[in-house]
Amino acid sequence: MISYIAKRLLSGLVTVWFIATATFLGMHAVPGDPLLNDKAVTPEVRASLEAAYGLDKPLPQQYVIYLSNMLQGDFGISFTQKNRRVNDIIRDHFPVSAMLGLLALTIAALGGITWGAITALYRDRLPDVLIMLLVVFAVSVPSFVFAALGQLVVLKFNQLIGHSVIPVAGWGTFKHMLMPSLVLGLGTMAYLTRLMRSSMLEVADTDYIRTARAKGLSAPRIFFKHQLRNAILPVITVLGPAIAAITTGGFVVELVFAIPGLGRYFVQAVQQLDYTVIMGTTVFYGAFLVFMVIAVDIIYGFVDPRIRVDKVGA
Amino acid sequence: MSDTPVLKVENLNVEFATFGGAVRAVRGVSYEVYEGKTLAVVGESGCGKSVTVQTIMGLIPCPPGKVTAGSAKLCGRELLTLSKEELNKIRGAEIGMIFQDPMTSLNPTMKIGDQIAETLVVHRGMSRREGLTEARRLLDRTRIPEAAERARQYPFEFSGGMLQRVMIAMSLACKPKLLIADEPTTALDVTIQAQVLELMREIQREDGMSIILITHDLAVVARMADDVAVMYAGEVVESGPVDEIFYRGSHPYTLGLQQAMPDARHDAGRQLDAIPGSPPDLFAPPSGCGYHPRCPHAMQVCTKASPASFEISPGHQASCWLNHADAPRPETAASPVGSAQE
Ligand SMILES: Nc1ncnc2c1ncn2[C@@H]1O[C@H](COP(=O)(O)OP(=O)(O)OP(=O)(O)O)[C@@H](O)[C@H]1O
Ligand SMILES: [Mg+2]
Repeated sequence: MISYIAKRLLSGLVTVWFIATATFLGMHAVPGDPLLNDKAVTPEVRASLEAAYGLDKPLPQQYVIYLSNMLQGDFGISFTQKNRRVNDIIRDHFPVSAMLGLLALTIAALGGITWGAITALYRDRLPDVLIMLLVVFAVSVPSFVFAALGQLVVLKFNQLIGHSVIPVAGWGTFKHMLMPSLVLGLGTMAYLTRLMRSSMLEVADTDYIRTARAKGLSAPRIFFKHQLRNAILPVITVLGPAIAAITTGGFVVELVFAIPGLGRYFVQAVQQLDYTVIMGTTVFYGAFLVFMVIAVDIIYGFVDPRIRVDKVGA
Repeated sequence: MSDTPVLKVENLNVEFATFGGAVRAVRGVSYEVYEGKTLAVVGESGCGKSVTVQTIMGLIPCPPGKVTAGSAKLCGRELLTLSKEELNKIRGAEIGMIFQDPMTSLNPTMKIGDQIAETLVVHRGMSRREGLTEARRLLDRTRIPEAAERARQYPFEFSGGMLQRVMIAMSLACKPKLLIADEPTTALDVTIQAQVLELMREIQREDGMSIILITHDLAVVARMADDVAVMYAGEVVESGPVDEIFYRGSHPYTLGLQQAMPDARHDAGRQLDAIPGSPPDLFAPPSGCGYHPRCPHAMQVCTKASPASFEISPGHQASCWLNHADAPRPETAASPVGSAQE
């Protein structure tokens, strides 16, 4: 298991290096000069910035400077926000995004597993048909539509009550997080519901469920002790991609709900061609996702005994 | 044969509703299993052997399955009309069941010990701890080495033969009156097969349970069975004590089966004769005797009327018109032990 984890981490590092390189090359292929656009930049400032990042040097040398800075954990200074280091931007705003994402993921996973189990239980009957209809709806409608809808619902709800119970936008208290995390988790929840449903039905047809029935176990016992655990396994394997979906979905939701998360700065940086912020946040997000996927795989190894022992042996 | 049967199945009919219409998988099956005895059920693939026992156990999915007639009594108690709760008290406690593929028949994410203990917790009200202790004892009894260690392992850490022993340990945990074994050794290699069968016999001798053994292998029948039921196209065509069936087999299908099976002891090198043709379509079973399209001795009456059950000798019945008093006697059919009567 230890050597397996070490191997995965190493390959994760290589992936991150790859992302960093691709981002670097990509940024240099983009036309435009961020320092030109900003009138406040004096020739002196420009010269010192160019020296610091080696912007006047040939590409390979810039690449080396870029990588060595990054290795030291330094993503540089924002080109458009005066005196703000990219590291500070990430440190200040990532926790907000992480909180939102974590809540969305929890809602998506618990909701997906519950709805999936219910649809399988009521296969082809009304609850199943109804939920699966909603699932198709939730999978196909883009998240910014849900974001706007969510705000509308909150607004109407507040009007109905007479005073503002749940804030329509902004950040700060738990109440602020409810609607945006629900909106953010909705698509993933729908996807997980579908997966959980087919997984439950597949497990219901297995020989070992037949054995459990032949043992005279009650239906609830078979459901909870035998069917559920085995059916959840495939759901866990897609949590990695689910985290990725929620992370990228967060960019939009943060904008609509005016949440001061990192995603908003990322989008803003792209619009303003803020080189260091784009590169820094892209590499940061890339590394975050790569290691989340690895973490999910390791957790899966602990949940599924077959994988666990294979890896000890390996 | 004087004692009352542990299990008595009478005129069982089971259908499956499909898009193509109703599949009549079981058509009037009757058989009996006596205390401490083994009934072997043989017949071609698809003839309804599994559906019959799964119906008895309430394991047929309904729908599409449906019991249209018949009864199955365990020690005189009707099983087919029991409520779910009552049935759950019998399954695993009074009837144990093991299946063809031990590799897929155990929960892959649950420890072996827990899977065995579960039966005891549910039926005997034991604590998990007591159940685990008993599970280790059962594993020991089914001759799994290092039982305590093995109880903490998962199914994928076992070989097929070992898993079938685990299945036996699990199904026998509550000392059931009847063990149903649906092709328990088909998925195992030959030496392991012999060991598993020997284990079943040994436990049968010690606990006095009855066994229904479904198999394709006449060698297994010869080794294990006291009684035999031969099934064809959803019907029992011949049944009786094992020696009667082997040496005074009467139904042309039984004889055909014997011709089609290799028998190392008696005639090594003999040409095997497969039964020509294929089993009938259960959507629309042939009129008359189900076997007549493939039967070398088919007569006119066979195409028109279902044969009644003729007693060949006490406890030995065959459903074949050849046993009728008016029928001609081909030399392969039964010697006239008991005369045919209706
Ligand atoms: N769920 C089902 N739906 C429709 N038909 C079914 C179903 N289950 C079984 N059958 C049909 O019932 C018939 C008998 O099946 P069964 O499994 O009892 O055969 P078997 O004698 O056990 O054969 P084998 O030796 O291959 O195990 C088959 O023709 C099969 O197609
Ligand atoms: Mg079968």
